[in-house]
Amino acid sequence: MMYETVIGIEIHCELKTKTKMFSSAPVTYGAQPNTCVNEIDLGHPGTLPSLNKQAVKLAIQACTALNLEIDPVVRFDRKNYYYSDLPKGFQITQQFHPIGSSGFIDIETSTGVKRIRINRLHMEEDTAKQYHVEDETWMDFNRAGTPLVEIVSEADIRSAEEAMKYVEKLRNILVYLDVTDGKMEEGSLRCDINISLRPIGTLDYGIKTEIKNLNSISNIAIAIAEEEKRQSALLEAGVAVQQATRRYDDVAKTTVLMRLKEGSVDYKYFPEPNIPPVRLNADWIQTIQAELPELPDARKERYLNLGLKEQDVQQLIQNKALSDFYDEVILHTKEVKLAANWCISEVMAVVDVKTLSQKTYRLDLKEFGAMLNAVGDQTISSKQAKEIFPHLLQAKKFNEVVTDLKIEQVSDTSILEAVIEATLNEQAQSVLDFHGGKDRALGFLVGQIMKKTQGQANPAKTSQLVLAALQKRKPE
Amino acid sequence: MIEHFKHKASVQKALDKALAYQPKLNAMVSFLEPTSQLEALKAIDPSSPFYGVPIVLKDLVNMKGSITTGSSKILENYVSPYDATITQKLSAKGAIIIGKASCDTFGMGGTNMTAATGPVMNPYDLTRMSGGSSGGSAVLVASGVVPMAIGTDTGDSVRKPASYCGIVGMKPSYGRISRYGVIPYASSLDHVGFFTTTVKDAAITLEVLAGRDDKDMTSSNRPVEAYASLLKGDLKGQRIGILKNVIDSIQNQSTLKEFERLCQKLEAKGAICVPIQLNEDLMHAFLPTYYIIANAEATANHSNLDGLRFGVQKEGDDVEAIMSATRTAGFGKLLRKRFVIGSYALFIENQEKVFRKAQKVRRLIVEDLKKALSQCDVLMAPASSQGAPRLDDQSADQLSSEYLIAENFMALGNFSGYPSITIPFTLVDGLPVGINLTASAFEEAQLLDIAYGIEQVTQWADRTKELV
Repeated sequence: MMYETVIGIEIHCELKTKTKMFSSAPVTYGAQPNTCVNEIDLGHPGTLPSLNKQAVKLAIQACTALNLEIDPVVRFDRKNYYYSDLPKGFQITQQFHPIGSSGFIDIETSTGVKRIRINRLHMEEDTAKQYHVEDETWMDFNRAGTPLVEIVSEADIRSAEEAMKYVEKLRNILVYLDVTDGKMEEGSLRCDINISLRPIGTLDYGIKTEIKNLNSISNIAIAIAEEEKRQSALLEAGVAVQQATRRYDDVAKTTVLMRLKEGSVDYKYFPEPNIPPVRLNADWIQTIQAELPELPDARKERYLNLGLKEQDVQQLIQNKALSDFYDEVILHTKEVKLAANWCISEVMAVVDVKTLSQKTYRLDLKEFGAMLNAVGDQTISSKQAKEIFPHLLQAKKFNEVVTDLKIEQVSDTSILEAVIEATLNEQAQSVLDFHGGKDRALGFLVGQIMKKTQGQANPAKTSQLVLAALQKRKPE
Repeated sequence: MIEHFKHKASVQKALDKALAYQPKLNAMVSFLEPTSQLEALKAIDPSSPFYGVPIVLKDLVNMKGSITTGSSKILENYVSPYDATITQKLSAKGAIIIGKASCDTFGMGGTNMTAATGPVMNPYDLTRMSGGSSGGSAVLVASGVVPMAIGTDTGDSVRKPASYCGIVGMKPSYGRISRYGVIPYASSLDHVGFFTTTVKDAAITLEVLAGRDDKDMTSSNRPVEAYASLLKGDLKGQRIGILKNVIDSIQNQSTLKEFERLCQKLEAKGAICVPIQLNEDLMHAFLPTYYIIANAEATANHSNLDGLRFGVQKEGDDVEAIMSATRTAGFGKLLRKRFVIGSYALFIENQEKVFRKAQKVRRLIVEDLKKALSQCDVLMAPASSQGAPRLDDQSADQLSSEYLIAENFMALGNFSGYPSITIPFTLVDGLPVGINLTASAFEEAQLLDIAYGIEQVTQWADRTKELV
């Protein structure tokens, strides 16, 4: 039988705030364990939560970008369960009134644009991190209380490709908003996949499993493929799929059972009495929405309008740090297409993303722009530019490097023609070869001229002049 | 007014007295060595209202470096890593905290019989209870050990023991005093309160404790009034609503006679006493409504007590076993019962018909109260139907109107969050009985002013019961 895959995705995303969701302890990734905690994060008796306004602002930005309706009254609830990583014995979340509901994003797949509906976005707090060391459990409470938004899609996703595109797009939007650093490998963006199969043409959902521990977008595709294989084999054999939570095993490249879900857990949700409902000021929401940073789709449109190639646009958009860098570069040059090529190839080859995003490179963008302009108007060749570029990365000035390296491009027709005449006279055989149909000969001749001028001849102009000279020498 | 507490200020005398009374009253859970606090006085303005004044905190109030047990077993060894906001406020005004006072475990009770350190005795009769849950605090003020003690009030936990001990006990409006750092019972009903021997001392204390605290989102931004200097005590034209439901359910004739006499005296001073009838059915629903909401919140509030990060940890093979063993050993039968009731109310299948229904009934109760207070400035009734019960007294018929209404009506102030005060008014069979006054939200100034006027009629100000 043929099966259709049905997928819904829950994404937990850590917000980029200075302090925690309900306490003034700092949020710092990679700090010494248990140094970014206070009495609130540890659930000490008598502590009370204070809502982080910046977290609400970031949630509003995310809601806006994901086309969600914003509830102007922010309310929180308690989710009660006992677990060692949950200091208070309950998590403060938004069960009954999520800040955002009924939104969507459009993804581009190989079969066209598809709209994926988003059920809700709600704010909550993260738990502590546990490390299992031999038979001991070590706790790091730095993560406890970190602001999170959980974004829940509808079960609109039908394939691994769509799942990847959805997570990729969502992640990119959130990174462009700067509400999160979106690092899946560090757990600041975590993704749970709910997946079930059903015979094609049927409408009832099959029994789903939930896959956790997906720390990269490519792992999402692998996990879904594995789960499709596993579930369809069960269904083919007439065995019911068991509702369960499974974990992606990065080493075995497959999913493994964590626990069966026997009935649902009763979290005994009730409204959080220590946080009164907060009515958001309509002007405040509007200001946040009006000042929303440029989103990937808008930026893509802008780049296409600049005349960049679709493929280059994709490469730039997918890497916000690079794209931001490109936007700064084009403030200093008219050569926007050339700048795109350079950013994608040369810049990425030598400067890492972290350096770009933190702007710790030593490249003066004005000088970089001057170099690109020189390439554009053929004052220097691309080859020469590649020689110059490493020096610019040492914070040197373009003109000085040109002088230091004795780089000069010969574009003067009379000078070039003299060299060409001499060369053609010397290389009579190549001239004959060319006219005999051997195109290679042209390259050889240009090469000889470059040699004679120590690489300073303008290559495009040289080619053009050599061709003209060859035409004159065409045998009758 | 600033000089008010001064004559009462002798830290050493208070400590000596507290130690001497401890075998008889059993009111203290822990004593604090005051040297460093006295040292810190050097940086404090000597005209501060609590400058050098000895006080006690209910054992639910955190003070950095002090043991705060909540009168429980599970936090027997708990050393507070931080200060409650009120602890900081009191210290900043020069108060010297000499120790922590006993209470019902985590404030869950009305007798102080459930404290881990045992019952607290009433100074008027050592065979009788202090009332609870803030029993230790009440007794320490009533016996003249300290002029002010901090309590908390979730049902009537300040106002009932104040009645039994013949002192002033006040809880202001919900949100008037920060709860940050005070171990909770039920967050939506919990109030910080305090005991004093005079209404004026209560007004001074409220001025120090009240005010917005960014660490407590439920605290109010309203400015704090100069309660003490606003006291006039003129009862002329004040409309005092007499809670008929309470009067009608009291059996003790002496209490009724004394109350009747008080009303006549107040009218003689120009007060207008108006009978107020609240919805009797709703009043019968007070206790179940209260227990459902309070226990539901309590079961979540105390889920942090798992022995993993603080408190008395019991052994277990894994983390889950440790949590389970810790909680089983750390909570008495009564607390476990409360947690079971609270969880039951929150189960998904019960939530609508139990927890949500209780919240609806709470709203109806508050609407009824609001309507009553639109006809008068304060509501008044005896704070208890008679004096403190004997320690071993279990005779109360918990389904009688006297129990359900006369002994539990003060939860009105917790359901609504309205300010409420108990002041002493008479002796019944040799034991103190107070009257309770409740006003509309944030009408503390008027409430205190009327209480001040009544205090001048009862002539009970500043009485303590010293032990020999």
